Amino acid sequence: MNRLFILITFLTSSAVFAQDVIELPSSSTKVIVKLAFKNGSMCDPVGKEGLTNLTASLIAETGSDQYTKSEINDLLYPMAANYSSFTDKEMTTFTFAVHSDFLEEFYDIIRGVILNPSFAQSDFERIKSNLEVYVKEIIKANSDEDFSKMALEEQLFEGTRYAHMKEGTISGLASITREDVVAHYKKYFTSKNVLIGIAGKYDQRFLDKIKSDINQLPGQMPDLPKLGKVEMPDGIEVQLIPKPNNLGTAIYTGYPIDIDRSSPDWPAMLVVNSYLGEHRKSYSKLYKLIREQRSMNYGDYTYIEWYEAGGNNQLPLTGFPRSQNYFAIWIRPVQTAISLTSQYPELAGIKIGHAHFAMRMALNEVERVKKEGLTKEEFDLTRQFLMSYMNLFVQTPGKQLGFLMDSKFYGMENYISKMTNAISKLTLEDVNKAAAKYLQVDNMYITMITDQAEAQPLKQSLLTNAVSPMSYSNVVRESLGEEIFELDKKVESYSMNVKKVEILEPKVLFK
Amino acid sequence: MNRILIVLTLGLLFACGGKEEPKEEGVFPYPIQQTMLDNGLNVVTVPFNSPGIAAFYIVVRVGSRNEIEEGKTGFAHFFEHMMFRGTDKYPKEKYGEVLKSIGAAANANTWFDRTVYHMTGNAEMLDKMFELEADRFMNLNYSEADFKVEAGAVKGEYTKNFSSPYMKLYEKTYNTAFTEHTYSHTTIGFWEDVVDMPNQYEYSLQFFDRWYRPEYCTIIVVGDVTQEKVNTLAREYFGEWEPGSYTQQIPVEPEQTETRYAHIQEENFPPVLSLNYKGVAYSVENLDMAALDVIGTLAFSERSPIYKKLVEEERIVRELSAGGYNTVDPGLWSVDAVLVKKEDLTKVKNEIVSVLEKLKTEPVDSLTLAQTKSHLKYGYAMTLDNPDAIANSLAWFTWLTGDPADVNPGYANYDKVTPEIIMEVANKYLVDDKLTVATISPDEQVEVIEELNFDR
Repeated sequence: MNRLFILITFLTSSAVFAQDVIELPSSSTKVIVKLAFKNGSMCDPVGKEGLTNLTASLIAETGSDQYTKSEINDLLYPMAANYSSFTDKEMTTFTFAVHSDFLEEFYDIIRGVILNPSFAQSDFERIKSNLEVYVKEIIKANSDEDFSKMALEEQLFEGTRYAHMKEGTISGLASITREDVVAHYKKYFTSKNVLIGIAGKYDQRFLDKIKSDINQLPGQMPDLPKLGKVEMPDGIEVQLIPKPNNLGTAIYTGYPIDIDRSSPDWPAMLVVNSYLGEHRKSYSKLYKLIREQRSMNYGDYTYIEWYEAGGNNQLPLTGFPRSQNYFAIWIRPVQTAISLTSQYPELAGIKIGHAHFAMRMALNEVERVKKEGLTKEEFDLTRQFLMSYMNLFVQTPGKQLGFLMDSKFYGMENYISKMTNAISKLTLEDVNKAAAKYLQVDNMYITMITDQAEAQPLKQSLLTNAVSPMSYSNVVRESLGEEIFELDKKVESYSMNVKKVEILEPKVLFK
Repeated sequence: MNRILIVLTLGLLFACGGKEEPKEEGVFPYPIQQTMLDNGLNVVTVPFNSPGIAAFYIVVRVGSRNEIEEGKTGFAHFFEHMMFRGTDKYPKEKYGEVLKSIGAAANANTWFDRTVYHMTGNAEMLDKMFELEADRFMNLNYSEADFKVEAGAVKGEYTKNFSSPYMKLYEKTYNTAFTEHTYSHTTIGFWEDVVDMPNQYEYSLQFFDRWYRPEYCTIIVVGDVTQEKVNTLAREYFGEWEPGSYTQQIPVEPEQTETRYAHIQEENFPPVLSLNYKGVAYSVENLDMAALDVIGTLAFSERSPIYKKLVEEERIVRELSAGGYNTVDPGLWSVDAVLVKKEDLTKVKNEIVSVLEKLKTEPVDSLTLAQTKSHLKYGYAMTLDNPDAIANSLAWFTWLTGDPADVNPGYANYDKVTPEIIMEVANKYLVDDKLTVATISPDEQVEVIEELNFDR
């Protein structure tokens, strides 16, 4: 039982208004209001990729029929109140945070932003320009890890409404006009596809006001486009994206899986995933093998659903419910040949760094878990961990609200309490059956952001399944035990079912 | 004006001290219960309504600032990694298992002035948390082989961070602005020192012996706990920890007397202009840092005229902000702008400088000042909604001054900042002689310096 929730009274909405409402009243002076619209980047029209996120970002960055954005900034300044938008594939969430001292005053200022956004041309041009530079330049230059994830999703979801990143594509953004935004707002931000959430110190009258206002939004239920079939690739398809003088190779992989938070097998796969690669945890298998024992990088994790901003967060965020998931392996940057040869004379002459070996090590372990499963001890420990750890996802009222709202997307009441309860009832057999069913190593997409000089040799190595011995520096080699070298020997020639390797220049991505 | 009234009563609004321990009035709304053990270890408890959850922090007042020896940059951070490598009682495998069984969110991080170890989890496991932490803080014992292997993870961390032009600029800016003081290197250290880390095993033993001592550490526990329980556990597990004797002299940074430049040449990336002024060491005794905080918010936030002009109206700047890190020794106070195009670097620089010049010569209006103080306090108060955030907030004051209760006088200092003090502080710190100009653009450094024309 999730203890955080024991003291919180759940109230359901009176049936006066059509919207679903999730309430978490408490004495907390920080009041959070969330409006979650079921739309997301999958609703972007073809050729206008980025429209939903741009519309939402603009609502958060424009004025209303009463105030310009500049005036709103002035009015909110002494309150330190804030609000922002977050768009994912299938949902857009607005989050408002204010101290209860200012609740009514704050609401009177911002209600027009949701109900009657001005979408001023100057705001539109500013926000669009910022998104364009993000898609064109920043995502490709600022973090190889984020770049690899977006590039992987573009490949994995090709041909579906999930393929483009939420910020859009270069050509999609270029073609979006202010009129597109206005029309999209009217069509997809309606009173019928919104879920209201509120937490903190507020009264019923205040909530009724919000509900009544939200009812003024257009009343139709928007037609949501079909996602499209996400195909399992035939074999392993790799895209290598070279950048000059890169010290590391950032690796991200994925293949589609047909389960989500509401699936019967989900709790079992939470255990499998946690055992293999719990996000930012040092006791999971891939982390131990690649980072702890071999010193190859900063961390190695697996996922059965998207993890927003994983480089910055140690606990999960909310607002990205998805009906289509994929199993992912995230191998943080490993050293490239130019990095290794510049440090260690004994490694002179190597043409590829640790990327091929690291990939093999991860797949070898995933395959082992698929075949052998967890031991009883491993199962017990991982289960015990998760039953406590998942409660930490909802430490703040804002997070509690977010998880409850995401639960609704999957037709659940309370994802966290349901999972901790379900995990407590799992058997070892359930978990190992799930591992055998959903883990596989034969078909997947792999994206690697790597060094320019390494791309071609790495391509050849992957395509020909060439032996890729681990190139340790002498100082590390002399510190390792025999058991490490034994496994290395096996892994260096682990056969990967590579069918295709492409080298893609950064500029061809996200067009 | 109701805003002013609110600012005047803000202290009262947030004050709701515990019954048992009257607290000073201030922005921090919970009692801060401190007990100093005989060995010099400070134990801080903040009971907070988070049923079943507690945050357990240990702040060690050692960071990259303390890396005064040649070739040892990055060592405090590297050592933080070694703290996860086990003891005789809990060798690394077993340590991992026990940590996992607690089901906590546990990690650590290092910065200029400190290393922080944190564990947030089930409050019923507090006893185990104390046992585990005390064991490694007092009895850490890793092999030389493990030591050598761990260095690769730090390289991985460096590699992941430094693909970013912003990180490259950050490293170069501090390296340019500081010539003697250890803020000249970032926390992860210089690459060549990171590469040499596996050869520093003996030094690592010395490092542990010097710094991982009760007098340099503070325990902070926040959440579903009582002071009595926390103190009992602290005495039980940390009571025998022996104080050390190490002290050091951090090199003093000589007075900067001319504008300096740090540049990253980068194509296909938004141009950046960052004006970095030598600031002040944090202290609750003087108002300079509080005044600089106020200036950063008042003069460059979304509310400011320059933001409205450059970001919203002319749209030549994508992002604009200003502020400084609170640091033990004088750090940098910066104005940062991300531009649309490089051709506007000079114009943006002139606009920023003109705002700073005005601050030196004209008093700010009292309404804007009052609103800024309200903004700073309410902004802070709204972060205090969970044990982890509360512990983290007190950790800041712990490493800055040694006393977590300085949170209240620290925030009260904002109320004392007057238009006159703002003018004094602007004249004292925001001058060209104390400036390091940091830029990202597709051009070479020499072209950018010529273009910005600070000397003429």
